[in-house]
Amino acid sequence: MKRYTQRSSVVVEFSDLPFWKKADRRDLFYLGFGLLVLTMVLVSYALGSLEWLPYDPQEIDLDMLMAPPGTEGHLLGTDFMGRDILSRLVLGTQAYFLPGLLSITIALTLGSLVGVLSGYWGAGFDTAATYLGNLLDSFPRLVFILLVVAAFKPDIYYIMVVVGITNVPVVSLLIRDKILSLKQKTFIEAAKALGLRNRTIIFRHILWHNCRSTLIIQATLGMAEAILIESSLSYLGFGVQEPTPSWGNMVQAGSNYFMQGQFWSSTAPALAILVTIMGFHLLGDGLNYILEGKRS
Amino acid sequence: MSKAILDVKDLKKHYSRSRGLVSALRGRDVVIPAIDGISFYIRENETMGLVGESGCGKTTVGRSIMGLTPITSGQVLFDGEDLSVLPPSRFLPYRRQMQMIFQDLDAALNPKMRVRSILREAVTVFDRPGNEGVDRRIRELLDQVNLKESKLTSFPHELSGGEKRRVGIARALAVGARFLVADEPTSALDVSIQAQIVNLLVDLQRDLGLSYLFISHDLRIVELISHKVAVMYLGKIVEMGLAGSIANRPLHPYTRMLWSSMVDGRSLEGSPSPGGRGTWGSLDFERPQAGCRFASRCPVYRDRGRPAVCTDPSTEPELLDVGRARKVACHFPLQ
Amino acid sequence: MAVEPVLTIEDLRTYFYSRSKRAFIRSVDGVGLQVRRGETLGIVGESGSGKSVTALSVIGLIDAEPGVITGRVGFRVNGTEWSLLPSIGDHVSLAEEDGRIVEVVKDNRGWRRKVDRLMHGVRGREISMIFQNPRVSLNPFVTIGSQVAESVLLNTGIRNRREAAEKARYWLEQVRMDSPGLRFAQYPGDLSGGMCQRAMIAMALSSEPSLLIADEPTTGLDSTIQSKIVELLDDLKKAVGVTTVLISHDINVVARLSDSVAVMYGGTVLEYGPADRVLSPDFLPKHPYVEALLESIPSERHIKDGLLPRAIEGEVLDTVNAPRGCRFFDRCHRITNGIEEKCRDLEPDLAEISAGHQMRCWLHIG
Repeated sequence: MKRYTQRSSVVVEFSDLPFWKKADRRDLFYLGFGLLVLTMVLVSYALGSLEWLPYDPQEIDLDMLMAPPGTEGHLLGTDFMGRDILSRLVLGTQAYFLPGLLSITIALTLGSLVGVLSGYWGAGFDTAATYLGNLLDSFPRLVFILLVVAAFKPDIYYIMVVVGITNVPVVSLLIRDKILSLKQKTFIEAAKALGLRNRTIIFRHILWHNCRSTLIIQATLGMAEAILIESSLSYLGFGVQEPTPSWGNMVQAGSNYFMQGQFWSSTAPALAILVTIMGFHLLGDGLNYILEGKRS
Repeated sequence: MSKAILDVKDLKKHYSRSRGLVSALRGRDVVIPAIDGISFYIRENETMGLVGESGCGKTTVGRSIMGLTPITSGQVLFDGEDLSVLPPSRFLPYRRQMQMIFQDLDAALNPKMRVRSILREAVTVFDRPGNEGVDRRIRELLDQVNLKESKLTSFPHELSGGEKRRVGIARALAVGARFLVADEPTSALDVSIQAQIVNLLVDLQRDLGLSYLFISHDLRIVELISHKVAVMYLGKIVEMGLAGSIANRPLHPYTRMLWSSMVDGRSLEGSPSPGGRGTWGSLDFERPQAGCRFASRCPVYRDRGRPAVCTDPSTEPELLDVGRARKVACHFPLQ
Repeated sequence: MAVEPVLTIEDLRTYFYSRSKRAFIRSVDGVGLQVRRGETLGIVGESGSGKSVTALSVIGLIDAEPGVITGRVGFRVNGTEWSLLPSIGDHVSLAEEDGRIVEVVKDNRGWRRKVDRLMHGVRGREISMIFQNPRVSLNPFVTIGSQVAESVLLNTGIRNRREAAEKARYWLEQVRMDSPGLRFAQYPGDLSGGMCQRAMIAMALSSEPSLLIADEPTTGLDSTIQSKIVELLDDLKKAVGVTTVLISHDINVVARLSDSVAVMYGGTVLEYGPADRVLSPDFLPKHPYVEALLESIPSERHIKDGLLPRAIEGEVLDTVNAPRGCRFFDRCHRITNGIEEKCRDLEPDLAEISAGHQMRCWLHIG
């Protein structure tokens, strides 16, 4: 049974309503959850930078090895060297936040550039860009990252540059397809006929008005991916190196004690990874539906 | 007599359609002559109607004049200046003079922009009149196209067909154009709205002294709004003359066929004019007819026992002056 | 009336739901029509008048929620009677406020199943439909001949493939395909728009239906091709005599082909009667909308006199916010002081003003 209700016998115009009154409740939940996670990450990043932490995350306390959560002063307990897990979790956002922004910036700017060039001017450049993108896509990304790590050093910024570059084809393809579908409509031609210059058409009509939401959504997904890659590599020992905390190397460090019943020191960072990645994905999904009117 | 604002001379636009690498190398790509040498001129404050069926190239004529597609050969003289040889940067000032109304109602307006920003953009392309000046100009435009001010905050998809069309016209007027290419401005509209738009265009012409190239498939509307009419068939003008005379006394069999297919149902039923019924045949650029392009559908060709001159490749009928400002391209024009 | 009606529509209401407006779009709002055997009923109207939705409701092809809500559609052939709409109460319950439906609770799946059961043996076999866009309505990967033959196999007593192909060829000739033998083996992509429409008509007729619904059969075709299709439909009407509902926005097409005409506006029928009365500008009385509509079409008369057609001011009705009174109130040019209040507040009934000629206007019903 499905219920359709009209508010009153006289209909008021709903099109000017704010989005939260028009949107699906589920999407609003996605958006809210995503924004909450985003806020927590931002706050954590700020606290970490200001060093407003309950404990020094590097401070080794041999009297408090593997203290369980809830121990006085240590809300989430301590790890095998007696370091406060909460403080290390908060500081762990430093490991991916700026590097993640770097990879997003690279992916979005280069992606938009290539996308606009191949979608708007097309022809030869489009073919070349498509082949290059396919080539980049067909090469396993992890191998690429490991090569860079081997050639330079296991630095998270190097890794994120690679992640950003490998994401360029994804973004450029989205922008290109968007432009091609916009070209089906005549408003780009109409804008040209009006006397607008190409750069106005590209920046105002295409990127600002019609690709804005696509780019925002790509940014949220890019951040989720950055976290995932950072933590997997740090877990494997290629990313952020001890003693600097990162959620990945915290899971790794705690994993030895997991089977002995001392689950907290790896579970806490693992949950943080899970919730944060989920948050960014749901943020992307919610935005996608609310801004673009479609489910991804 | 006022001078010509637009003079099109022997305009040609050929598309080539690739059939793959091998035929490209052998030079066997298909060339589609979408416009195959047409000439006409439009004077100040005059409307020229261009009529033809879909695929005859009439829209391409409009886009070529507007510089939206490069032409193969010929000249497009606007105020005596050949636009077809101008680089894009030198073309820009002419966009102030000439604008286009696009056929597709929904597609010609950026769906993510409100009416106010669409008009603001158009007003500020060439001028920077300041916020107050922009608002004043927008109000003036709304007044000219008879659109309510409350629509300024709407997005295009919230407008009705007639309102979208009005916004499209306001946008073309915003830069201060003197010449408009109106590409099927009424075809996407409801019957009762079509007449509104036709009347609006006529009023604007009277008030602002505009000239139009009015492109349409509907010979009736073209006859009503235009001073001159040209009938196009497969990339060529087959008949041209003053409005009124075309419908009352068509000389080309195609014009008669077009006209009789359009007049009221009841009068058609009573007297199917002998020349009105053509045979079947499709518009096909890829298999162009030798000689006269219309021969395969032409009732006169059939009734006269298929004269060889109509299909002789060396004698394609020329658009010839037959007096009283009338031109026709036919070996056996109707009397 | 001597001839019994094949199709009877009574008080049909088809509503859709606009999520963004949280309101019902009342596409069809109380339509009643009858089609007698051998007759062609023309339905004329502008976009949003509900003419196509009426046809789709009859044939059970409304997919969007909540779809057809109330009404009765009776279909009668050779003494067999079908009711084509699930009766109200089966899967739907309604709530009203101020005499307007403000809430619908509908079991869409149950409704769908019920409609499919009711339509079984009717849709395609007894009622065929021609759609606006022939290219899209034909399967691009199956030859024209096989598509028509398929319809013969499905909907007639013929079970033999060769016989079906024979029959298909016969129908392709009937719709005057040029070189039907050649077209038989071609794909829709090889055919022009006009030829595709002929193939559609052949397919629709091949099931020898009792009722043909033609939804904008000439729209989107070039005018010379349009006139050929109209000619064909006219000849088929005389030769085959199939009962037809013809839906079009083109008054000339409807005037040429129809016996009776219903003019729709904003989901209701404003005038309904014999075609030669309703669509003749000289026959009085007229509904103000029909009168204005006929005047807004450029005709030979306009061109001869060099006059522009008179426009109907205002916009086509928004069926979400249909007014309480007459739906044409805002645009009407013939409201007099005496009836203004009535026109604004009270919707007139579709009343008989002379035998077989009905009108919904306070000017003509006192």
